[in-house]
Amino acid sequence: MPELEVRNLTKRYGSTVAVDDLSFAVEAGRVTGFLGPNGSGKTTTMRALLGLLRPTRGEALVEGRPATAMKRPLETIGAALEATAFHPGRNGRNHLRALAAAASLPTSRVDEVLEMVELSGAAGRRVKGYSLGMRQRLALAAALLGEPRILILDEPANGLDPQGMRWLRDLLRAQAAEGRTVLVSSHVLSEVSQVAEELVLIRDGKLVSHTTLAEFTAGGSTPSRVRAADLEALAAALGERGARVGREEDGALLVEGLGAEEIGELALARGIAIHELAPQRSSLEARFLEVMGDEESEGS
Amino acid sequence: MSLLRSEWIKLFSTRTTWVMLGIGLLCEALLAGLYVGLVSFREIDGVEDDGIEGILTGTGLLMTLMLVLGVLIVTTEFRHGTTGSTFLVSPRRWPVLVAKLAAAVLVGLLAGLLYVAVNAGLALPIHSNRGGELPPGDVLVEIYAGVVASFALLCAFGLGIGAIVRSQVGAIVAAIAFFFIVSGLPYLLPGSIGDYFPAAALGALHGDIEGDGSLSQVGGGLVLAAWSLGLWALGTLLVTRRDLSD
Repeated sequence: MPELEVRNLTKRYGSTVAVDDLSFAVEAGRVTGFLGPNGSGKTTTMRALLGLLRPTRGEALVEGRPATAMKRPLETIGAALEATAFHPGRNGRNHLRALAAAASLPTSRVDEVLEMVELSGAAGRRVKGYSLGMRQRLALAAALLGEPRILILDEPANGLDPQGMRWLRDLLRAQAAEGRTVLVSSHVLSEVSQVAEELVLIRDGKLVSHTTLAEFTAGGSTPSRVRAADLEALAAALGERGARVGREEDGALLVEGLGAEEIGELALARGIAIHELAPQRSSLEARFLEVMGDEESEGS
Repeated sequence: MSLLRSEWIKLFSTRTTWVMLGIGLLCEALLAGLYVGLVSFREIDGVEDDGIEGILTGTGLLMTLMLVLGVLIVTTEFRHGTTGSTFLVSPRRWPVLVAKLAAAVLVGLLAGLLYVAVNAGLALPIHSNRGGELPPGDVLVEIYAGVVASFALLCAFGLGIGAIVRSQVGAIVAAIAFFFIVSGLPYLLPGSIGDYFPAAALGALHGDIEGDGSLSQVGGGLVLAAWSLGLWALGTLLVTRRDLSD
């Protein structure tokens, strides 16, 4: 049984279709990236999974049941939805205390999660004075409170600085390594590509692709830029191996269909000295945009 | 029980609650103290006055504050989007609203008891020091019980309106307008129909003077409780069915 599953989920608001016949399942013990442009239905799907809104059609299930049937909700699923969803006049610690009390968790757990998200120092301050990054950390703390088996995080990287992003990635990896299921949404691939093993891509409320990160990367043409002592010979050799070979403006080869290792080994076998061999890293993002239709890549 | 504790923490972890209780009680002390201390109560309308109205001066403000506090218990959650985290802990929503109702009644009772403490500790001694007559003990207890009960019921009433309206300002306006203005209008109708609306029920609960209402004190309390409970039930139904997408 998948930990999280949506089956033919459709959610309409008036004439607007936010989620359109969406189906996918998330298995335990790994990080799944939930990707799509802003407004593609990620948040709606997550809220349906959490039982916060009623599907127009279809189902959203947690451990095979609707969220409203969960026995101990906070220990089953933890969620960080929006960074702004706090009472501005309440301090961070009291926000967590109220949640812990509702779930019959000891107050000591509040201090533990505050420690985990490195927010202990600001816990006594009112949320009003928190930066966006601090709010994200507080939202994460709330999600971790019940040591849940499943984590649902909606755009948790928004507002985090580069150190914060690395910290978040480490945290998510650690959570998955402990066997937890993590569904993390983003509209920027690079935010999740370093932690997610699986990717669910949606657009306009519809599933575009459900794949592993490895397949997604392999499926795309990840070109390598190559310069060598004898470019013509190398181009011919690569062509024989089935690679598509193009030319960069400065004359370097742009090789698609073969990995950097294979290109290097082939060159060695032919005795051609390699001067430069650079996989074009940005291609993952390029492929994402290609799949998503390249309408939106940044902003919020 | 755990949900009630959670609501209690929420209630007392923002300044609003403290400020409202503080201002309400301070004003009560000032008004009641000044009134019984300065006004020559024996001359009012030439009627012999037992001083009750004077002693109870300042109740009105606290009643309004209780109504507003009840509204806030639910509307702040919608206003600040904390409904998401609240209903994540309890995806079935009605238990949360039961806890909120209990919290509203409890905070109303608490405010009522504080009110009585201030009133009995300040206004009564001043009154009798000036030679004013006090009502008999059992009447005093009845009056105070009515006030305490009305605070709890008003808070619950506000909660119900808040759950129905959800918008903070809208709900505060609606609660005050409905309670203090609209629900007094049927009173003008012939017959006793007006007695069964909140304003008159509150009057009866306070053992009020103005009305020639047909309700007893307990009857008034029950009518007001029925209104509060009815509004709460409707609000709970609406909140339970609502999509929370913000």
